Amino acid sequence: MNENTCVSEVCGDYVLVRLSGEVDLSWSQQVRRAILDALGDGGRVGVDLSQVGYIDSSGIAALVEGLQNARSHNRKFVLVAVSDAAMAVLRLARLDRVFSIFSDLDAARSA
Amino acid sequence: MNAAWPATACVPEHDPVRHGGRRALGFLADLSQALAVSLDLRTTLEPALARILDFMQAEAASLFLLDETTNLLECRVCVGPVDIVGLKVAAGQGVVGRAVAQNAPQRIDDARNDARVNTRVDAETGFVTRAILCVPLATAQGPLGAIEIINRRDGGAFDEDAAEILRLIAAPMALAINNARLAAKLAEQQRIRREMALARSIQKSLLPRRRRGRFPLIGVNLPAHEISGDFYDYFELPDQRIAFFIGDISGKGLDAAFLMVRVASLLRFSGKDASTPAAWLSEVNRELCNTLQHGRFVCAVVGIYDRGTRCATLASAGFPPALRDDGIRFEELPADGPPLGILAEAEYGERQVDLADAALYLFSDGATDVREGARDRLGSDGLRGLIRRHAALAPEPRLRALIGELKRRKLVDDTTLLLLQEPRGSQVRELLALRFPAAPIRMRAVRAALRTALDAEDVAPELRDRLVLAVDEACTNIIRHAYRHQLGEDTCDETDSIALRVTRERDRLGFELRDEAPCVDAARIKPRDPSECRIGGLGLAFIDATMDAWYIEGLPGGCGNRLIMHKQLKAKTESDE
Repeated sequence: MNENTCVSEVCGDYVLVRLSGEVDLSWSQQVRRAILDALGDGGRVGVDLSQVGYIDSSGIAALVEGLQNARSHNRKFVLVAVSDAAMAVLRLARLDRVFSIFSDLDAARSA
Repeated sequence: MNAAWPATACVPEHDPVRHGGRRALGFLADLSQALAVSLDLRTTLEPALARILDFMQAEAASLFLLDETTNLLECRVCVGPVDIVGLKVAAGQGVVGRAVAQNAPQRIDDARNDARVNTRVDAETGFVTRAILCVPLATAQGPLGAIEIINRRDGGAFDEDAAEILRLIAAPMALAINNARLAAKLAEQQRIRREMALARSIQKSLLPRRRRGRFPLIGVNLPAHEISGDFYDYFELPDQRIAFFIGDISGKGLDAAFLMVRVASLLRFSGKDASTPAAWLSEVNRELCNTLQHGRFVCAVVGIYDRGTRCATLASAGFPPALRDDGIRFEELPADGPPLGILAEAEYGERQVDLADAALYLFSDGATDVREGARDRLGSDGLRGLIRRHAALAPEPRLRALIGELKRRKLVDDTTLLLLQEPRGSQVRELLALRFPAAPIRMRAVRAALRTALDAEDVAPELRDRLVLAVDEACTNIIRHAYRHQLGEDTCDETDSIALRVTRERDRLGFELRDEAPCVDAARIKPRDPSECRIGGLGLAFIDATMDAWYIEGLPGGCGNRLIMHKQLKAKTESDE
């Protein structure tokens, strides 16, 4: 399984936060911080979940907080390339229709 | 005539009353010995009284005993020309009555001219009473009765010396009577105890023997006293199904115990060819209505259990609600009709109870009536708590533990428990047992171990991942809320640990998490509505959505919590997805 990493990079008009590994309570605070920092830059934010093998409620909470923050500042916040494991948890939390979810950033841009 | 006593050696030989201290003492010794020969007053009192008659040189002697309940004195033994055995006088009346009432000797020198003397016996018999001496049979607890002697043979009156000697003679008589009464009381108590023990052993012999091997029914009967008005029984029907019943006779004591014997026999007899539990109850009810004494009734549950389908059919006549326990929840099964013996036309419903993964508890109200303190009843909730506390035990040790708990409290009524549960034993397999420090950083390894264990059971990957998520969420809740570790804290006190145990019983997975944190308030732990978009409570919502059932309880002693979660592998998972 992947190492737990959280890398932010600028991809054109988006800041993309790439998560990998198992997002759980042991480092979900780091994830939360990274997402809020990305939003603090003032642009659009995407979170790449393609390499996420596991995410728990604290990881979901970090995503929800990012979404709420973006909405309150009228910014775009999307999830891209959501892995099956992450998607299952989003569905379980009934958040799969709350988040804007795309296969990649291009799809998000053209939506 | 009045000589000092003890008399001197020169008193005339022919007058024993005055013969002197030595003779009197010798007589006393002989009398005491004669009285000590037997505790049977019928054989000792009459010869003793005859000796006294001779010694005192009197014409007649009688012994009266006081009946404390009626306060009447009755003549029990007499010697002399007139038989007055059975004569009764009230305490305080006549010479004898006065001796007892005043607890003091009475002496009448001229009975014919003394108003204190009751002349009725003389009038009826022609006997002439001239002189009377009467002393109480004194004990520390008051007089038992009195000895009366009548008429000196030489025609004279009894003097103070004679009174003193008779008082001395009365002492060993009183002692002998007292001893005999105590011995009789003791013998009576022993007899009652023996008979009660016999009654108890007869009752016990009616209870079914504990079956060896994998039999699904066990029962216990605890009488509040020697004998019981409760009963239970079970037996196999020709088609291999098992019939069982438990009951409680209204009232207590011997009559309830006798009735119990009858009702238990009747239920057993009728159960052999009853088509259904409801028909079984109706038949016994009709019979009891015809024969029970007014005001008596019987509460009972009858049932038939099919080991093949693991399903029981029950019918209850006014019995306390049965409890079905699936390990998570209790289901109460109320009575299906009135107690037996009240309404001949009563009709009883019946219900099917699935016991594939559950236990059925039947208990008489004695089990919930045990007193916790001076007044508090244990109640149904208290009993459920005790069942939960011992839920991990196999049926037999669990029943023993429950009985132990009930006995530690105060039993106020006969108490009977019947437990119906397929023995599990080797059917429960442990899939995983881990103890790990309560730190988020450890959870990745725990999840990996759990995934491996579930894969080994061929649990479908989607379900496996959800189960792993649920267990993970439960652990992080323990870390955050029970142990109160702060987010982002990487270190933890190594003594704070969590124990995870995963078991499989047939198609049911069991997840047990134990911690040593202070007890949490189970009532406050509620999952949030999943449609609510907020952060808190999401983990619990995952658990609730994934597991069939779960509960959390504080462990006894205020330290530690236990979370139990169940998941059925077949059927339910599909409808869930």
